[in-house]
Amino acid sequence: MDFQPRITAFVCNWCTYTGADLAGTSRLQMAANVRIIRLPCTGRIDHMFIVKAFERGADGVIVSGCHPADCHYTAGNYHARRRFGVFRELMDFMGIDPRRVTFSWVSASEGVKWKDVVNETVARVAELGPFDAYHELAGDTITGGEPAPDPFEAASGAETPDPLEAHEVGR
Amino acid sequence: MKELRDLARKLLADGDAGVVIGWEEGRRGARPAFITTPDDADKLIFDARCVHNLANYLNPRKPQVKALGKPAVVVKGCDAKAVAGLLREAQLTRDRVILIGVRCGGVVQTPEMPAELTEATVATRCYGCDVREPKLVDHLVGDAQPEPPVTAALDRRIAELDALSPQERWQFWTGQLAKCTRCHACRQACPLCHCERCITDKTQPQWIESSSHLRGNFAWHLTRAQHLAGRCVGCGECERACPVGIPLSLINRKLQLVVKDLFDYTVTDDPEVPAPIGAYAVDDRQEFIE
Amino acid sequence: MSAAPDKRPTPKGKGTKGAAPAAAAGAAATAVAGAALCLTEENLGKLVAEIVAGGTRLVAPAREPQAGVGGSADYRYISSAAELAFGDSLPRMSLKGFFLPQSEVLFKWHRKGADVEIEAVPTEFPPQIVLGARPCDTAALEIVDQVMDWGLRDELWFGRRDATTIFNLSCPVEDASCFCHAVGLNPDATRAADGMLTPVPGGYLVETCTEKGAALIEGHKALFESGDTGAAAQRSKAAAQYRADARAKVAADLQIDTTRIKEWVGDHFDDDFWTALGPRCNGCAACASVCPTCHCFDIVDEPEGVGHGARRRNWDTCQTGVFTLHASGHNPRADQNSRFRQRVNHKFFIYPSRFGEVLCTGCGRCSRVCPEGQDLAEVLACIDELARA
Repeated sequence: MDFQPRITAFVCNWCTYTGADLAGTSRLQMAANVRIIRLPCTGRIDHMFIVKAFERGADGVIVSGCHPADCHYTAGNYHARRRFGVFRELMDFMGIDPRRVTFSWVSASEGVKWKDVVNETVARVAELGPFDAYHELAGDTITGGEPAPDPFEAASGAETPDPLEAHEVGR
Repeated sequence: MKELRDLARKLLADGDAGVVIGWEEGRRGARPAFITTPDDADKLIFDARCVHNLANYLNPRKPQVKALGKPAVVVKGCDAKAVAGLLREAQLTRDRVILIGVRCGGVVQTPEMPAELTEATVATRCYGCDVREPKLVDHLVGDAQPEPPVTAALDRRIAELDALSPQERWQFWTGQLAKCTRCHACRQACPLCHCERCITDKTQPQWIESSSHLRGNFAWHLTRAQHLAGRCVGCGECERACPVGIPLSLINRKLQLVVKDLFDYTVTDDPEVPAPIGAYAVDDRQEFIE
Repeated sequence: MSAAPDKRPTPKGKGTKGAAPAAAAGAAATAVAGAALCLTEENLGKLVAEIVAGGTRLVAPAREPQAGVGGSADYRYISSAAELAFGDSLPRMSLKGFFLPQSEVLFKWHRKGADVEIEAVPTEFPPQIVLGARPCDTAALEIVDQVMDWGLRDELWFGRRDATTIFNLSCPVEDASCFCHAVGLNPDATRAADGMLTPVPGGYLVETCTEKGAALIEGHKALFESGDTGAAAQRSKAAAQYRADARAKVAADLQIDTTRIKEWVGDHFDDDFWTALGPRCNGCAACASVCPTCHCFDIVDEPEGVGHGARRRNWDTCQTGVFTLHASGHNPRADQNSRFRQRVNHKFFIYPSRFGEVLCTGCGRCSRVCPEGQDLAEVLACIDELARA
């Protein structure tokens, strides 16, 4: 079975979330790998949301909101634009492949654009492969920079069902 | 430095300052001094070993310094930029501090080294310095100094890292950040890290794990760098303080270059100029956004 | 030639299996008589190769592998002799991290329906060897043993202690910030060590202190030469000179009486001395990170996903504001004066009161690493002078 990336999308309520909803009601065909988290505005999105998503198993992240001049709160997306302009460079510099994160402006009427953003992101991240490097960062570390053998070789498989497990596309 | 000592003596004797924060001779080189009586003013020195960013002691969350009274702080240009940051961010009011600017010709990398400035010994922070005569001052002491030796070593190293693939940079940074013990010396040494409660100490909710595994360390260093973007004055104290030798200057300098590129902003010792993050322009660059 | 006796009186409380046997107070001569051998530089390389080839983990002072980043030596797991940095400076960090890792899993949990399954970590560890430990770092382990066995025996600490064989490298004394002599040790101390290497022309004089040490030698005995009596005598002489020079050097750094200091610190909790000293400290805790005897830790529960996670312990430090922050918001050590005082207090009054010895081996790292120039040797000298007045 081909690798199915897990994508977490942080989207603003007024534009992108509505646009994504439109994509759904229009029955546009798109990859089912994205889990959407709705925020009031991209201005609310802290860089740690992206980091946390990667920490918790995401292979890729989408951050999307209103076009400039269209922010429901006037300037939230302008702040986000500056913040993420910087953070994207920081991630890249620290070795996090920037191709794993998509930033986009998707308005409430752009259902088709949302479909494209989703499909492109999923395809791009699928090609990059699972982000194991980030998921496996917390082995036991002993001074010397070399991780000690993890006493739990078979990692931490959960017995409870994982909500991020791709389930059937029931649309 | 007679001019400085006389000034300090006078400020203390007249009661204008409760403490003069400068440098003195320590057992292992120059170190910060807290002069509270006029007689002790003779301890004050200034030379190329006076590396420390004394603006750090103006952090309002240092009750033990506040208890000493109204501070008169000796500041090099880079230190004055940090004071400007504190003023800009309402951590300090201008009338509550006396700033004694000192003309600077550069500093060496550590306070223990001999005070001889060469390309090999000069601190990386001195590259491109535009505040050798600080402007944010109440007094200005010291003779005019020659230009420090030039070394673009830091920017060269950043260019080398930029030329690698993300995967190779990942290898580099995981190797470096694995050393991090989360002592937070970088934060404590930084004048601009002045939050009452640092985000890494918050647990309800906990965004940054306190454990010193790579996951926690990445979260910490990404956050600190991001929170300093546009605010970091490039004094390099974080890297100097780090007990395990993580090259933090690379990260902070990189973001200085990014902020310059994206917003045409360079950190300044004028507190009236707003910092870039927290402000915006309607035509900000957005090539990275689809 | 036997290793000279350690000055430090032996502690009350238990040591570990395989550590230097506790002798009568004040006379802890620990070398095995007649076991003075030689290890040439070449054979040291072969010893490393043999140990590594045999699959045993080997810790030694080594340089940082990444190019272009400083040149400090650190204790690291090494896999070849080329990585050895015996002759370099004192390793930047102490050996502490190999026994109390900076972040360590205590157990993992998995939720299964309404139940929670706990997976404990093993408390037995594969054997490992430390070659070239500085005496201040090794002795620290036995000092910390006391608190690690106080009321509750820390099985993870002692599991690693038991699994480790340590050969010291007799120290030439790093610089004027060293003061091991002033706290009852010496640059050639063998406390808690299984053996000792002393640099001599051409290689090292090798002595064993414990059965564990002897077993290591035995396992690679072809590499160790006794040579003829003439050569042996010459080596002994060179080693004795090396050690004597080091002792003289460090003795000059600081002359104090730790008992006198303990009394003064205990009696002067509210002294102005602390308010004069505290402001310079920026609370960075670099000192605690590099210290071989600081051992405080924090325990956290970290979810790693839905229904599973790990309980960890992480290095912590009394130098941070949150260390004593109560849930109510009250903080008994609300400023850096009281926190800096606490560091000196714990090491030179509280720990000696409870365990009979100072929580410090005089390695000097805290003074070297402090970005603001706090100098513990200077602090102790000042207190000693105040105590004498």
